Amino acid sequence: MKIEFRNVTFYYKKSEVVLDNLSFTIEDGTMTAIIGHNGSGKSTIAKLIIGLLEPVSGEIYLNDELLTIDNLDEMRAKMGIIFQNPDNQFVGSTVKDDIAFGLENRLIEREEMIRRIEKYSRLVNMEEYLEKNPENLSGGQKQRVAIAGVLAMESDLIIFDESTSMLDPKGTKEINKTIKSLKNMNNGKTIISITHELEEALYADRILVLNGGKIVLDGSPSDVLPKKDILEASGLKVIDGLSLIEDLKKIDFESKDVILEAIWESIFTM
Amino acid sequence: MNNLAFGQYYHTNSVIHRMDPRTKILSSLLFMIGLFIIPKNNFLFMGIFALFMVITILLTKVPLKKFLKSIKFVTYLLLFSFVFQVLFNSEGELLLTINHNLTLVNVGICLVVLICLFLLRKKIPLFFILFLVVLVLGVKFLEYPVYGNVLLNYDIKVYTGGVITGAFVISRVLILIISSAVLTLTTKPTDLNNGLEALLKPFGKKTSILAMMISIALRFIPTLFLETEKILKAQASRGVDFNEGKLKDKIGQIVSLLVPMFIISFKRAADLADAMEARGYVPGEKRTKLVKMNFTLKDVIYLLSIILIITIVIIYRVI
Repeated sequence: MKIEFRNVTFYYKKSEVVLDNLSFTIEDGTMTAIIGHNGSGKSTIAKLIIGLLEPVSGEIYLNDELLTIDNLDEMRAKMGIIFQNPDNQFVGSTVKDDIAFGLENRLIEREEMIRRIEKYSRLVNMEEYLEKNPENLSGGQKQRVAIAGVLAMESDLIIFDESTSMLDPKGTKEINKTIKSLKNMNNGKTIISITHELEEALYADRILVLNGGKIVLDGSPSDVLPKKDILEASGLKVIDGLSLIEDLKKIDFESKDVILEAIWESIFTM
Repeated sequence: MNNLAFGQYYHTNSVIHRMDPRTKILSSLLFMIGLFIIPKNNFLFMGIFALFMVITILLTKVPLKKFLKSIKFVTYLLLFSFVFQVLFNSEGELLLTINHNLTLVNVGICLVVLICLFLLRKKIPLFFILFLVVLVLGVKFLEYPVYGNVLLNYDIKVYTGGVITGAFVISRVLILIISSAVLTLTTKPTDLNNGLEALLKPFGKKTSILAMMISIALRFIPTLFLETEKILKAQASRGVDFNEGKLKDKIGQIVSLLVPMFIISFKRAADLADAMEARGYVPGEKRTKLVKMNFTLKDVIYLLSIILIITIVIIYRVI
């Protein structure tokens, strides 16, 4: 799904502008990471796309069609979002019921529902937990259920709205692995990953860095990463390997280029 | 905090678990109505109802402990309603007269024992039973003027009517609570939602919203309790003691628990609403269902047996 923001401004209070005249285009079938510190307006972008919020001014085009109240339901059917808190989005009383919730709303037939639940629970490695209730699941597992729920709706666009920020390191790893494998499937789905961890943006096709409601950096991970100053000014934690490269650049030693290249490569294969 | 059994589904595979949620909702509703049309002090019918409940409990395969936990909350209520019936109901024959001679010493001893008991209540297993024993012994003990002048002398007259009505009221409430526990322990919130929705359908289109609300409330009870526990621990780690302190302090402590609870619940509700909306939920709209409700022979038998019992009660009352 192609997403286009045209001069979008959003604020709750006029004195505190969240998004300031924002314009960008996300191409169909790509993975884009939107990163920024807390309060930079990155989650607001997700809520605007999914129609939970309305821009104060400007337009949002989805597949070249203007998003309005009238076509909201129709548009929503094509997208899914995974929120931050795994507990606050678990609607069903078991894993199976929760994956089915979205399908029930979309009037999918029962046989098809069962097929999809099986397929997508297997995809996120939760097929053994179908009858379990949320109290017996870890945060990472709950998020995986949420991902299965969104995938089951077979939507074109999947948004991860800080889906790992409330998880422990193990859960974070699980979810990142899932997002990565989704991207590598190359099934034409558009993925937007919203995060404040640079590490989680490395496998995206494109990174948008947000600060103060404006885009301060836009480009592929290898373009964005070396711009240490802007990243730091945007309140982001620069990747450890990168600081190492910076430090090593200052001194002279044998086969410097090869080593620097190797470190650079290793950042992306983390 | 975790001993709240109401609303917590217990997962096992039993006949009652497999039953149609509509049957379970309808039958527990009928059962409750039935409980209240039993003629006063008719223990035969109460016995039939109790027997029915015992059979149901055995069929659910849910550990008895779960049911006992659901009663735990009303034990004191039941005790007091029994005591009130015994003290103030003067129907029937005089059963026994207890002549109390209150002196400073015997009242003092009783109070000290009670206070000690309550202070140690967390360390005593089966506290309630011990409490009952102490209560009975205390009532007996007050008959003897241990030392000093008798300050007050009065008779407590216990009539058969009081005891019978007391026992009747207790058994009615007990069976009532257990029957609702059977429903919530054996039915998943989603099933409950589906069942309620199907049953309320004749009353209008918007009833599905009500059913969804109820099922979400039930789904979040355990989550909110975990949350409460977290806040309690957080407050305790900062020196708030929820067990000790004067009444005034206690009120302050409760406020310090309630305020964050409310804020968290509202936040949670807003998040959940967003998540549901994003997944295409439109209140009152038509939805397909994953769960297929099957009304089978066991449902017919269960429902019919309840209807049979109630019919007998009604016929008995009319004649």
